[in-house]
Amino acid sequence: MSQLTQAISEVQERLGSLQDEIERLKRYVEALEEENIRLKRELCAVPEQETNRVIANAERLQGVGRENLMKLYREGFHVCHLHFGQPLEDGDCLFCRAFLRRD
Amino acid sequence: MKTHCSKDALLTGVNTVQKAVSGKNVEPDLQSIFLRAEAGKLIFLATDMEIGIRCEVPAETETEGTLLLPAKLFSDIVRKLPDTQITLESQAESANLEYYQSQIFLKGYDPEQFPLLPDLLDPVSFSLPSESFKTMIRETLIAAAQEESRPIFKGLLLEMEGSVLRLIATDTHRLAYSQSGIDNPNGLDFSGIVPSKTMSEIYRLLKDDDDSITVRFTGSHVSFQFGAVHLLTRLIEGQFPNYKQVIPSSCRTKIRLLVKDLMESVERASLLARESSAGVSLVRLEISGDLLKIEHTTDIGKISEQLSIEKEGADITISFNSRFILDVLRVLPSDQMRFELSGPQSAAIIRTPADENYLYLLLPVRTN
Ligand SMILES: [Zn+2]
Repeated sequence: MSQLTQAISEVQERLGSLQDEIERLKRYVEALEEENIRLKRELCAVPEQETNRVIANAERLQGVGRENLMKLYREGFHVCHLHFGQPLEDGDCLFCRAFLRRD
Repeated sequence: MKTHCSKDALLTGVNTVQKAVSGKNVEPDLQSIFLRAEAGKLIFLATDMEIGIRCEVPAETETEGTLLLPAKLFSDIVRKLPDTQITLESQAESANLEYYQSQIFLKGYDPEQFPLLPDLLDPVSFSLPSESFKTMIRETLIAAAQEESRPIFKGLLLEMEGSVLRLIATDTHRLAYSQSGIDNPNGLDFSGIVPSKTMSEIYRLLKDDDDSITVRFTGSHVSFQFGAVHLLTRLIEGQFPNYKQVIPSSCRTKIRLLVKDLMESVERASLLARESSAGVSLVRLEISGDLLKIEHTTDIGKISEQLSIEKEGADITISFNSRFILDVLRVLPSDQMRFELSGPQSAAIIRTPADENYLYLLLPVRTN
């Protein structure tokens, strides 16, 4: 009988330590998840700023591009894709005007 | 070949095909008219390889056959023939024309040399009343480029989409758009740039008693058949510009006035302008209240006109190339017109008040 009692108490002991181990792992997973969320947030935060910077730059470039196209047109050259860069002969071009108006 | 027909029939034949005869820069046997006598008819054919025209006239044919004759000389002879029955007979490659007790002998070429018009392979076709098509051509041809480096502007976009047929022309300074409802039960779609020369030929050749015109097309060619005439043309290659994006959807000033009033005023004003400057003749329109004023001062004189108008929206002063205005006023199919303006530097639209099927878009001239 004492042998059996001995065995049960050993199993109980192992179960106890396994439970401890599970608890420890649970906490570890929770910590990892938190860490993951934090990292994700950080990761997203960087591209958002970056995106804004890229957008701003693109807009600036587009603005400069549009100004340049406007200037080119005022100086008497087509900016429409039909005649791009060719001199505007006898007057304004409907397609250049529509192109410059659009954006 | 031997056939008998009236001088009038011969004249109809040569006049119909003359615009398709090749110019001077080709071999003489291509600057020619091909004739084929068949039972009950004489067929005329000419082509410069861009456009080909075929026309049938009534004739009493004794012997079927073909002839290839120098276009210019044969046409000139036909014009001078007396108004009577003519007998046309081939003698080898030459033609013999007989009338009264007279005859003309004219040397021709080997008819085998004549390039036959290609038959359209698997064409798709539709028909519409010839009167509608004639109106559409008249309203749009004015805006096609006369001299322009890009061939697409020397053509008119013919576009069929759903139950609408459109014709559009632009020289990049102005654009004319005309549309017409059409029976299209099979839901055919087509879009091609037709040379303006072809369109003006169709316009010239369409008679008031031609009921309908049948259009057949493939990817590279389009043909038009009406009355006894069959006209085949190559399409202009290239992409027609997106006309939809240049048509403004709103305006700031709308005026209504009589076409005749504006036309006569602009004609008078442009007389003074033409005398004074070598370049573009400008007309300045000052729209204020219910009046449109045209005032023009040049070295040689001064003109001042006032027209009554109906106006909605803001006052405006705007200048146009007077030729661009006159071109459209001469083809508008109604007494009244509508002018839609969006500012002295923005494109303006001219329409007829009751008709949404037509519009003419033109850019003003910037003045300092
Ligand atoms: Zn342009």
